[in-house]
Amino acid sequence: MKLNIEGLLVYFPYDYIYPEQYSYMLELKRTLDAKGHGVLEMPSGTGKTISLLSLIIAYQRAFPLEVTKLIYCSRTVPEIEKVIEELRKLMEFYSKETGESNNFLALALSSRKNLCIHPEVSSLRFGKEVDGKCHSLTASYIRAQRHSNPNLPVCRFYEEFDAVGRQVPLPPGVYNLDDLKDFGRRKGWCPYYLARYSILHANIVVYSYHYLLDPKIADLVSKELAKKSVVVFDEAHNIDNVCIDSMSVNITRRTLDRCQNNVDTLQNTIHKIKETDAAKLREEYRRLVEGLKEANVARETDIYLANPVLPDEILQEAVPGTIRTAEHFVGFLRRFLEYLKSRLRVQHVVQESAPQFLKDIFDKVCIDRKPLRFCAERLQSLLRTLEIADIADFSAVTLISNFATLVSTYSQGFTIIIEPFEDRTPTIANPVLHFSCMDPSIAIKPVFQRFQSVIITSGTLSPLDIYPRILDFRPVTMASFTMTLARTCLCPLIVGRGNDQVALSSKFETREDFAVIRNYGNLLLEMSAIVPDGIVAFFTSYVYMENIVASWYEQGILENIQRNKLIFIETQDAAETSMALEKYQEACENGRGAILLSVARGKVSEGIDFVHHFGRAVIMFGVPYVYTQSRILKARLEYLRDQFQIRENDFLTFDAMRHAAQCVGRAIRGKTDYGLMIFADKRYARADKRGKLPRWIQEHINDGSLNLTVDEAVQLAKHFLRQMAQPFRQEDQLGLSLLTLEQLQSEEMLQKITQIAHQT
Amino acid sequence: MDEEPERAKRWEGGYERTWEVLKEDESGSLKATVEEILFQSKRKRCVYVCVCVLIMRHLYVVIDCSRSMEDQDLKPNRLTSTLKLMEAFVDEYFDQNPISQVCLHRNPKKHIAALKKAVDTVCVGEPSLYNSLNQALQSLKHMPGHTSREILIILSSLTTCDPANIYELIKTLKSLKVRVSVIGLSAEVRVCTVLTRETGGLYHVILDESHFKELLMMHVKPPPASSSSECSLIRMGFPQHTVAALTDQDAKPSFSMSHLDSSSGPGLSLGGYFCPQCHAKYTELPVECKVCGLTLVSAPHLARSFHHLFPLQAFVESPLEELQGDRYCQACQGELKDKSIFTCTSCHSVFCVECDVFIHDTLHCCPCCIHSQVTPL
Repeated sequence: MKLNIEGLLVYFPYDYIYPEQYSYMLELKRTLDAKGHGVLEMPSGTGKTISLLSLIIAYQRAFPLEVTKLIYCSRTVPEIEKVIEELRKLMEFYSKETGESNNFLALALSSRKNLCIHPEVSSLRFGKEVDGKCHSLTASYIRAQRHSNPNLPVCRFYEEFDAVGRQVPLPPGVYNLDDLKDFGRRKGWCPYYLARYSILHANIVVYSYHYLLDPKIADLVSKELAKKSVVVFDEAHNIDNVCIDSMSVNITRRTLDRCQNNVDTLQNTIHKIKETDAAKLREEYRRLVEGLKEANVARETDIYLANPVLPDEILQEAVPGTIRTAEHFVGFLRRFLEYLKSRLRVQHVVQESAPQFLKDIFDKVCIDRKPLRFCAERLQSLLRTLEIADIADFSAVTLISNFATLVSTYSQGFTIIIEPFEDRTPTIANPVLHFSCMDPSIAIKPVFQRFQSVIITSGTLSPLDIYPRILDFRPVTMASFTMTLARTCLCPLIVGRGNDQVALSSKFETREDFAVIRNYGNLLLEMSAIVPDGIVAFFTSYVYMENIVASWYEQGILENIQRNKLIFIETQDAAETSMALEKYQEACENGRGAILLSVARGKVSEGIDFVHHFGRAVIMFGVPYVYTQSRILKARLEYLRDQFQIRENDFLTFDAMRHAAQCVGRAIRGKTDYGLMIFADKRYARADKRGKLPRWIQEHINDGSLNLTVDEAVQLAKHFLRQMAQPFRQEDQLGLSLLTLEQLQSEEMLQKITQIAHQT
Repeated sequence: MDEEPERAKRWEGGYERTWEVLKEDESGSLKATVEEILFQSKRKRCVYVCVCVLIMRHLYVVIDCSRSMEDQDLKPNRLTSTLKLMEAFVDEYFDQNPISQVCLHRNPKKHIAALKKAVDTVCVGEPSLYNSLNQALQSLKHMPGHTSREILIILSSLTTCDPANIYELIKTLKSLKVRVSVIGLSAEVRVCTVLTRETGGLYHVILDESHFKELLMMHVKPPPASSSSECSLIRMGFPQHTVAALTDQDAKPSFSMSHLDSSSGPGLSLGGYFCPQCHAKYTELPVECKVCGLTLVSAPHLARSFHHLFPLQAFVESPLEELQGDRYCQACQGELKDKSIFTCTSCHSVFCVECDVFIHDTLHCCPCCIHSQVTPL
């Protein structure tokens, strides 16, 4: 289908289009026209990905000078693969319609672990091992050493790529990870380095968030991406947490021990080198005096993406004299390490700001702020000079040096919390130093500054206005799209009372209440009798789930449920969980029926879709508030209040509701799908909670579905399920929620479409 | 669960929102909606397609008697309601398909008796789709290829406890061309969707009791024949009903062969149908002769089955305003008041909705066409 989006010719590879897709593309086009950033919310299963791709590629073709590259960031490898498949379909459609092969290059990029084809290296199990091993084969000085000693091991794929790969660009086409590997095998080139090199001139790059947000990786991979790129963050409802995680550092006693070993190794290596090759160290010294000018020039001329770990001021200066020689620097690291060790020997919780920490470190061990700031850069330089092959071993010292740089660079937005033990196990000493980032905008700022358009999109971004506030940017468009439906295929019910009128709630005071637990059990039991196939139930935390399930077992509720359906439980162990999931799906498939008990914010609630019969109902037991007693959270809330004027309660509710929306959204993955969404807590009925749900769910909550008893909910659910079981064909959707080109062009429909996007 | 509650009162039953189906029109009246609903439901059954069908059917009905049948969302409970509807179904079934079988018995009376007995069954435990399908399959397997092999499952439960992989069984069913249809009483279950899709059957879930009846009646009509099903000639006997004259002194009452295996029913009778091949006596037709295996039917039975082969063309629906001339239904002579009328494609006679339904469901031929054929004579 060829669409006309405000004068832009868009090829859309399907015969039918959802009205909201059209509306989405309109908004997207306006964002690109304005060269600004956008926040767009559209329910999952309405073809967000293809709308994004179709429009942005059409834009790229129409205005090749305005938009040169699309950077599509997704969360997991399967999601990346899905995007590439959609893209392939679109490209095939292009070449079919235009009759010419287009010269678009699109590729996915992932870690070495997913791309390596070296027989030995790729057989390693952990990503870190693969990275380390790869580094030990391909680092420049290793390869230099090989000239004198040809017996050293070699990665022939890298050598081949290095010899010819850079001259011959990757032929145009769409490459997923397997395609890259195949191509690499055929040519004998390393697919990982090929991909990393090719993203510089590719038209479309699909990779993980971390390649752009995590300063350590972004510096390697994304530094040189063109400014005129469009960046898309898909499934971005958790983007603030990703940003925060990428900037936070946790230091335990184990980290320090490993760091100690690292420092010892460094010292030994320096000794050895001094005897054999003192000139090398002198050369490094000279370079450090010259400063980091090169990098500075590159950044100023707009070639590099800024790195928040490496602030601008540092680049203009030379490394301070106190840590310029290798021995001095190692001595400096030792002192710093000893200081950290002494800090971890505490009996009570300490919380302090970065300036307080700096003052303390100056008083105690006379470490100045300035050398600390250069710590990360200095360590990198040293590791390069010492020609250390296996970088992976040095992760501990790298972590410490990053911490040193961050703590001395940012006086705001971070907090230091030292806890002598975990809250749950106050008797076991397990001291941790949390250096925690409270401001997600620090990590994402360079992205917003550098790239022309950044689009943040997801199925659940409500309330929309909070994201620009916590990420500190100014979007040109903010819109939430509803799902146009030929039949109401989602049925949100808020169950607030048990049959005995006991208020259902997971709030702290009633958490242990027997009556509440019994009523929750009753709800699950009744639902298990009327909902076919699969039910997914979410609890607010593992602890809460364990308590409730144990109590249900004692009361005999579990036994009754098991007559209707089998029960599976998500645990913190990933292998166990995936096993449970597999069996759950099997039970749904062969008609026995199953219930999956899982936890909001867990693995199941984020990445796994329960299409059709795998999730006919989702029950959310309680409001999934984050653990509010955590000191890190408290510090963050305080920061949000002071810096962004966001009240604690607003943020907590927002956070809880986005997770609840994520959980219940698992069940509806398209317009032919249907599912019950049961919110089992009376607090959901309040306007402040309900109002924070995505618009496409909110629309279907009417006054009749608020504060129901279990019985009432069962009756409504029964009715809904029978309605939904009636035959539903594509013709029923046509003209309402599914349009042909002619239908789309009608005046009346265009009028309707303008109402779909809800601007805030 | 030792407390077995006595039958709950109507007001103790579930919470229902019966009013939600109804919508008010602009003037606040419900009349239009109600009429619309009625009209739609009348019309729904009148969609006829001309297909080749099998007129000899072997249908195996499986009724779920698990715990969930005790549910009271159908009144008084699911089981009783189902059995009541099944009685009607059996009657209708034999009326429309006289030479077919349900559960390998030809005698409708027997079925109804069995159904009545089943009302008192206590529903316990979980059902097994696998076991029931397997059992039905064992019997249907031996049916000849020119007949249809069908299983109709009335499933109330949402779960099935199977001893083996049901997908293997579905493959077997498919290869043996057994058509499995399911009527669900509560909600759509995945395995049934797959089962019916694979075997070419129908899968429906009821909305309420009247919908349930409608769905059941849908199964009365024979399924379309697949091109691969065999055709063959069948030997049939057409016995005449003979009654020994009361005056005949030699007449002796005799037993009907069909009552041999059951203790119920009348024992001795004077008249009956006698198999033309072996002269065994039967009191009712159609039946398969117990002695020589000949299929015994009467001519009207065959005729009744034939209308499936030559169904009456659907009438054309058009709005009332377009009609010129007298606004009277050709069949009932009543005034046409509904907003749509129906025209026969061959004789262009006009009918009202009620007559349209009656002609297609019961008469199976257009009275005006027949009338015009007869007149020249």
